[in-house]
Parts: sequence; C-alpha cells; structure tokens
Amino acid sequence: MEDLTSQPDMAHGSVSAMPEPSDEALLGRFADGDPTAARVLTDRLGPRCYSVALRMLGNRAEAEDVTQEAMMRLWKMAPDWVSGQAQISTWLYRVTLNLCIDLRRRKQPDTLENAPEPEDGAASAIDRMQDASRRDALQDALDQLPNRQRQAIVLRHIEELSNPEIAGIMDISVEAVESLTARGKRSLTAILAGRRDELGYEHG
Amino acid sequence: MNMADQDKELDHLFTQARATRDAFPDDLAVRIETDAEAVRLERLAMAPRRTRRQRLRVIGGWQGLGGLVAASAAGVWIGFSAPAFLPDPVEYLVSQETTYLMADLNLDNEYLEDAE
Repeated sequence: MEDLTSQPDMAHGSVSAMPEPSDEALLGRFADGDPTAARVLTDRLGPRCYSVALRMLGNRAEAEDVTQEAMMRLWKMAPDWVSGQAQISTWLYRVTLNLCIDLRRRKQPDTLENAPEPEDGAASAIDRMQDASRRDALQDALDQLPNRQRQAIVLRHIEELSNPEIAGIMDISVEAVESLTARGKRSLTAILAGRRDELGYEHG
Repeated sequence: MNMADQDKELDHLFTQARATRDAFPDDLAVRIETDAEAVRLERLAMAPRRTRRQRLRVIGGWQGLGGLVAASAAGVWIGFSAPAFLPDPVEYLVSQETTYLMADLNLDNEYLEDAE
C-alpha cells in the first residue's frame, strides 16, 4: 500500500530529480524562518487534513475551519518539534480528529444516533449538514457511526492508511484498529441496508 | 442482497468516495498560508532570542547537550574529588600556608645600589 504519511504529494510535484525534503525538514525550515516552507507543507498536508475532516464532519465549512485550526497548531508548535519523535502527518491527523470530535461535541452534546430528529421545515444546522451530504449515501451512514469506528473507517478506507499508521494516530493497538474497522464496516452495511429499505418503501 | 454483495457494495462506495474527493479549496490554502506567515513574522519579531530548537542546534542538538552536561558534571566531580595522580585543588586552596610579601623579594637594596 502506498505510504501516504511521509511522501510528498506527487500530484503537485515537479519532475525534478532532486529528492523532496521531508515534512520534518520543511517544518524545521519554517521554524528557522524560511518563508517558502509553509506553502509546500500546506500543499502536502492541507488536503489530507481537509479530506479527513470533511468525512468526519460531513460539512465543508466546518471541515475548512478544522483544517485551518489544525494547520495553525502545526505552525505554532514548529520550533518545539523534536526530531524523530513521530511522523508530522501522524501528529496532524490526530489533531484534526480531536478537533472534529470537539466540534461535534460542542454542536451536539448527545451522540448523533441518539439525537432527536429535527422537525420538518426547520432549517437547523443538522438539516443543512444532511442536505449537503444527501447525495452521498456513504456520508449519511458514516455520520451514524460512533466516533472511534468512524475515525478508523475514514483513515483506513478513505485515506487508505495502513493499520499500524492508524494505530499510531488513534493511540491504540493494531488489533484494536482491526476490530474497529471490522465493526465499523458491519455497522455501515446494516445502515446502508436499512436506508435501501427505507428508500424502497418511499419510492415503492 | 447477500453478505458478499453487501461487502462489494460497501467497497464500491469507498472507491467512489476516494475518486470523488473534494478538491482542496484554494481560498483555504490562502488562509492557511496567511496564518503561517503571521506566525513566522511574529516569531521573527520576538527579540533576537533563539528558539529552543535553534539553541539546541548551536551546541549540536540533544547529543551535544548531553555531552556538555556530562563533561560539566565530570569537571565538577574532578574538582572536588580529584584522582590520586592529580593535585587536589581544594586542599591547595584551603590549606595554603606560605605567604609571599613584596618585601621577601628583597629588591630595594639592589635598586638603591644601582641608583647610587
């Protein structure tokens, strides 16, 4: 599987034969005052943050805010980064996921699956979120998963990270990651089956 | 729909989700880079004080710092508990009995003799 955590985003890369500097080298340059390092890091890490946040939250505006905040934390901690302690992308994924959970908690003290259905016609934030994701059956189903399962599923099947990488991000064992993704997939299958039945009933 | 079909459908949804990933918004990239520049400038504006990372780099990183601490500790230890083959500097300082005075040099007579 492609290692997405330390390699540069080749989609934006040049054809230069020079090896791309590592995330850590770039962060060190940023900490030392290099004005060009932030752009490369933004191009490389920003899309990953945004992709995860979007699938975790199902809302573009919120995903943008979370991505901006996560990257801000990266800029601020740059001088204190201890070389070799971890992958920068691992740290950033973890910050992003925590920010997503915090945001969801602030919005809904209760979990989504236990939240009451919004009243018809009420243009609540939940309505808008659901409107935005209605075209995406997977997003609807993801929104109903418990946080940890959703994190594991998004990292494994959307970001295509390896289980050890996910274990590092979530600070759990590889076995726990496997268990979470397996349970998450079973839950998604059940939710999608229910949704299919519901749509069949509605359109039948 | 059996279990295998359901798994296949889910895998298809994952593939579709990866293929239709939202593009990274340009204005978000601009906001992030603006933040980075603000942090960078703020840091540069803060006194000429070096960051912890820079201070460490000057002395050779964590390994350099470790070596420096070890060498300093060894120096202090040798100072107070010198090995047998070295003179004990503490004893030298504390129990120095001989006092030298300018008069002991006995220069004045020779000086006067020369003057005469």
